[in-house]
Amino acid sequence: MNRTGFFGVSLATLAVGIVVSGFGAMAQEDVIAKRKDAMKAAGKSMFGTLSQMSRDRKPYDQAEVNAALTQLDAFSKSLAPLYPESTKGAPRHGDYSASDKIWEDKAGFDARIAELAKEIAAHKDKINSLDELKASFPTLSRGCSGCHETFRIKNS
Amino acid sequence: MSGGSGRRRPRLLLGAIVAVAAAGFAYWLVTMPEVVAADTLASRSPDLANGETVFNASGCASCHATPGQKDRLVLGGGLALASPFGTFHVPNISPDPNDGIGRWSEADFVTAVLKGTSPDGSHYYPAFPYPSYQHSSVDDVRDLFAYLKTLKPVQGRAPDHALPFPLDVRRNVGVWKALFLNGDAPASGKVLSDPIQRGAYLVNTLGHCAECHSPRNLLGAIVETQRFAGGPDPEGKGYVPNITARGIGDWSEDDLAYFLKTGETPDGDTTGGAMARVIRNTSLLTDQDRTAMAVYLKSLAPVEGPSRGHK
Repeated sequence: MNRTGFFGVSLATLAVGIVVSGFGAMAQEDVIAKRKDAMKAAGKSMFGTLSQMSRDRKPYDQAEVNAALTQLDAFSKSLAPLYPESTKGAPRHGDYSASDKIWEDKAGFDARIAELAKEIAAHKDKINSLDELKASFPTLSRGCSGCHETFRIKNS
Repeated sequence: MSGGSGRRRPRLLLGAIVAVAAAGFAYWLVTMPEVVAADTLASRSPDLANGETVFNASGCASCHATPGQKDRLVLGGGLALASPFGTFHVPNISPDPNDGIGRWSEADFVTAVLKGTSPDGSHYYPAFPYPSYQHSSVDDVRDLFAYLKTLKPVQGRAPDHALPFPLDVRRNVGVWKALFLNGDAPASGKVLSDPIQRGAYLVNTLGHCAECHSPRNLLGAIVETQRFAGGPDPEGKGYVPNITARGIGDWSEDDLAYFLKTGETPDGDTTGGAMARVIRNTSLLTDQDRTAMAVYLKSLAPVEGPSRGHK
């Protein structure tokens, strides 16, 4: 994906965050669709950019790295309102769904999100070379799996 | 009462008693827990580095690490494993003398892993994956025991398993073992040194991948014709993926090895659920071992898994 695309994704995710925090009573299906989109956008930053570069499958590009981290930063801060209690027990569609454990262990889930946001913020604008990216990537990746381990269900 | 039936009844009764006794004896014989005798274990000095590799490859920490804390080497147990048969509570395998394995002999430990029999001579439930571990090399198990002894003792015991009758009678597990344990000898020699066979050993025996990645029959044994073809998550909602060529045919060996190192899938996702715990183990193996596992997994013929749909 090109740079413009990345900024677009970043802005879109930021916008999602703002919109979501502004409308508490959004329809269940809409919230679920929005959080899936947010996850896919974050996945593009993580894997389309950072993972590919850290595996030497794509040349290192500082601007792309910065854009990806900016997007992930906004994403991590937008997460909390995307999981309202009203979506607990919603019908499961697609490859993955949110687990009811999110609401059964709300404190644990919130702590995870906060940890993710902290990790990403700590790396934003701090990765300045391929070696630094390679060193940091596993930590960022664990931020994703930390939630997916407990709070996501694989449907297929 | 007529004289004729009076003479027949004692014979009938005797026959019934003999039949019951014979059945009881057969049950007793079939369900007798097997042990590995201490005198079969020749004296040797353990290889602690190999013990650590076996620990990581076998995923001990995934179940035995104390939940709710971050150190995977704190093996106090206590994790509740839900299953269709009831809830299993994972035991303490830290070297604590009272609550863990601190007082076990080496033969006790080898017996537990290879035969699924506890030091007091009762059966373990196959939630402890000895159907896979039974083929571990004896030296690997001995090295693992030595390694476990170097870890921190942790106090505390897990509660008893919550199982309904007759599953709560441990002796009955002997029937299960008679039906489903194949009794092949532990691995040795070339199996452990040849890179391809090493991959099979890591996947089948130590890694016990099939224990989750296969459907199970009504008695909870793996459906052999669909080994590795995925199935419902035994711990609850969702599905465990098919890892035959039917499921991961589009993954390269490199993709698989990288996944085992990082938990990242080729389509740009990070794995979740119980597999996240598995990756914490496989990430600690050597690249060589992960590649061996990948090569073996890629060799699995495509097998259609059980039909999907939300469970």
